[in-house]
Amino acid sequence: MNTKLKVSEISKIYPGCIANDKVSLEFGSGKIYALLGENGAGKSTLVKILSGVVKPDEGEVFLNDESIKLNSPQDAKKNNIGMVFQHFNLFETLSVFENLSIDSDKKDEDLRVLVNDILNKYNFKIDLDIPVLNLSAGQKQKVEIIRCLIRNPKVLIMDEPTSVLTEQETDDLFISLKQFSKDGILIIYITHKLKEVLSLCDEVAVMRKGKVVSVSNTIDEKIESLANKMVGENLNTIKKKIKNSKDSEEILKISNLNFKSEDPYETNLNNLNLSLKKGECLGIAGISGNGQNELFQILSGEIITEGTSIMFRNKEIGKLNPRERREFLMAFSPEDRISQAAVPELKIYENVALNNFKSSNFFEKGLVNEKKIKEHSKKILTNFSVNTDNVELKSQFLSGGNLQKLIIGRELITSPELLVCFNPTWGLDVGAINYIHETLIQINEQGKSSILISTDNDELLKLSDRICVIYKGKLSKIMNADTVTAEKLGILMGGGSID
Amino acid sequence: MSFDLNFIGILIGAIMASSVPLILAASGELITERSGVLNLGVEGMMIIGAISGFALMVVTDNLFFAVIGSMFSGLIISLIFGFLTQTLLTNHVATGLALTIFGIGMSAMIGKNFVGIPGKEFPLLFVNLKESIPFLGPIFFGHSIILYFAFGLPFLTNYFLKKTKTGLVVRAVGDSPASASNQGINVSLVRYSCILYGGSMCGLAGAYLSLIYTPQWIENMTGGRGWIALALVVFATWSPIKVLIGALIFGGITILQLHMQAVGLRIPVQLLSALPYIMTIVVLVVISRDSRKIKLNTPTSLGQIFYKEK
Repeated sequence: MNTKLKVSEISKIYPGCIANDKVSLEFGSGKIYALLGENGAGKSTLVKILSGVVKPDEGEVFLNDESIKLNSPQDAKKNNIGMVFQHFNLFETLSVFENLSIDSDKKDEDLRVLVNDILNKYNFKIDLDIPVLNLSAGQKQKVEIIRCLIRNPKVLIMDEPTSVLTEQETDDLFISLKQFSKDGILIIYITHKLKEVLSLCDEVAVMRKGKVVSVSNTIDEKIESLANKMVGENLNTIKKKIKNSKDSEEILKISNLNFKSEDPYETNLNNLNLSLKKGECLGIAGISGNGQNELFQILSGEIITEGTSIMFRNKEIGKLNPRERREFLMAFSPEDRISQAAVPELKIYENVALNNFKSSNFFEKGLVNEKKIKEHSKKILTNFSVNTDNVELKSQFLSGGNLQKLIIGRELITSPELLVCFNPTWGLDVGAINYIHETLIQINEQGKSSILISTDNDELLKLSDRICVIYKGKLSKIMNADTVTAEKLGILMGGGSID
Repeated sequence: MSFDLNFIGILIGAIMASSVPLILAASGELITERSGVLNLGVEGMMIIGAISGFALMVVTDNLFFAVIGSMFSGLIISLIFGFLTQTLLTNHVATGLALTIFGIGMSAMIGKNFVGIPGKEFPLLFVNLKESIPFLGPIFFGHSIILYFAFGLPFLTNYFLKKTKTGLVVRAVGDSPASASNQGINVSLVRYSCILYGGSMCGLAGAYLSLIYTPQWIENMTGGRGWIALALVVFATWSPIKVLIGALIFGGITILQLHMQAVGLRIPVQLLSALPYIMTIVVLVVISRDSRKIKLNTPTSLGQIFYKEK
């Protein structure tokens, strides 16, 4: 059963932006295709068109040389095109089985047999009768995939599937996808992660500003060549000089810190010890869910601990809340940009004002000093090259990269002594990642310190002076970055030990 | 002894009768809310049902038409709500409040000519059984058909939501209309249907008041029962069976405190009058304290406007 899918001259124009500009591509079963591009390059619009969610202004889609109309998601289903969206389309409060049965015409008993067959065939382990909200992100994605597989898809489209997965889950996903491909399903894989393209896909189409700029075999490509095509300019590779700042003064010290959570979904932290010197970057690696969240909250003051357990510039700060810690010149960039770091419904300058210091005089006699805040915000926008100069813009309209620049800028403009950031480049495109990395290196060069909690090992190896690994709430020995390799990190992250 | 027991039976029968409008309205609203629509117009839809039922009874002299007509008028007024919130995408809360104000005003206007007209006797079922069996007789027999329907409704609702495909679709829409739409479910159709169903149940609840419970038309005769029904749905954490329990507790304490007032206990009247409200909330909060279940039953998208990307 061979499947051929062809999109021809597809255009979609939104007010003020050409999302797809005469996009033409061809796909055939037996291969895994990558659709690569930065955020806003038009990949998502194209797959929304293929899945019937969005109607194109112009152009046609051909399945096995027949023109098909995709006016609704049902049309896509009828044509055996399955789609797994970046944001899950699941019903959190319904059980896994209910989620699967809702759009199936089969009898419940028959469906259960079919689903169990799929679970066995691909070695998925999911309890069908628990509510979806109890599943991990990886399991939720499997539910989405199963939902497509029930319908015997000819085409399976995956939209940025790994952005929510751990490395282990990503490996599992790739194994499954390769299996699907062998079973004759045409797979289109949308991503902005270059490594994934090289390790998973056979062919890669690069999109930029709504246009297809290149189609090639992945064998002929390298990370650098793809990155340059994606961004459209030559990216300078950043390298950091690792410092062995033995002599400089200690700025932060955590000693014998324990944290026991009452929430069973949180991780307990056991006997943490670390110290940070002026001008250095301490990287903390680990698979997500090993206590990074809790550690970040302890550093930021969202979780209060014993006063003496955290010393910052020789002051006890364990009992201080985030605002008080900021007054001591600490700064924080949480993992979740949208729900923790910024309020998406608020305007840019309002988000800036949320991070107020006594000295910044944003508020006078209980009134908002709008003029002052706006000036301050404009300064952040220009200094940190956020791609807008309109401080009245609602933050939700900023792309992930620009929002992160705004957040980092908001934190750094007060020149803090310490910046704690948690997955600062999560889900960002290459250009934005590069910018954030340069900024983080810059603050170390200015003699300021940083703690980088990240699940991205490349990032850690690139930016850190010293690295340790968090595993099940415990920190490994802190190592000098020049002695650490990705392999070593991998062993420690999996709970192993090295000499 | 048998006299006392029979009296308790009669008391329980009265409690059941007083909780019927709450059960009907709350069960209807529960379906509406489960689809993610917050219709605060329950009071307005009830009172419209009450006046149109009574007016139709007077005009046609036919109780069947009166009951059906009350449901239909509840449905029509909820259609206005549906059109505003689903098609014109207005805010659910504001629209619902407006609906209540509109309903109260409208009913008072129509009702002017019907004040003081005596109602018609509504046929009660199994009246002889009620009198011949002590205690159980007055509990189970001698009620209107609407009461029997009302007491079956929460169980039917529960079955509908948990066991049927359509019920699953309603829950799915209430959980995530965007996902439902991507799954090819017509969110607008589902929500319209649930709104109309809720409206007709509220209309029926109103008719029960003006045709059976106190068979006459009095301005504002729903007396806040619509708001109680709304509160019941929330405090019962969107579970139909708990709505039934809550309605019975509310009806029970209302009747009991009236008796206590009549006996002349030395408790302030205001406190006694507040008792049903307090006790209903306390009991429902206690029986619904399982936070996991609350999370599973709460329609995540409640009150959120949904529009489809074109």
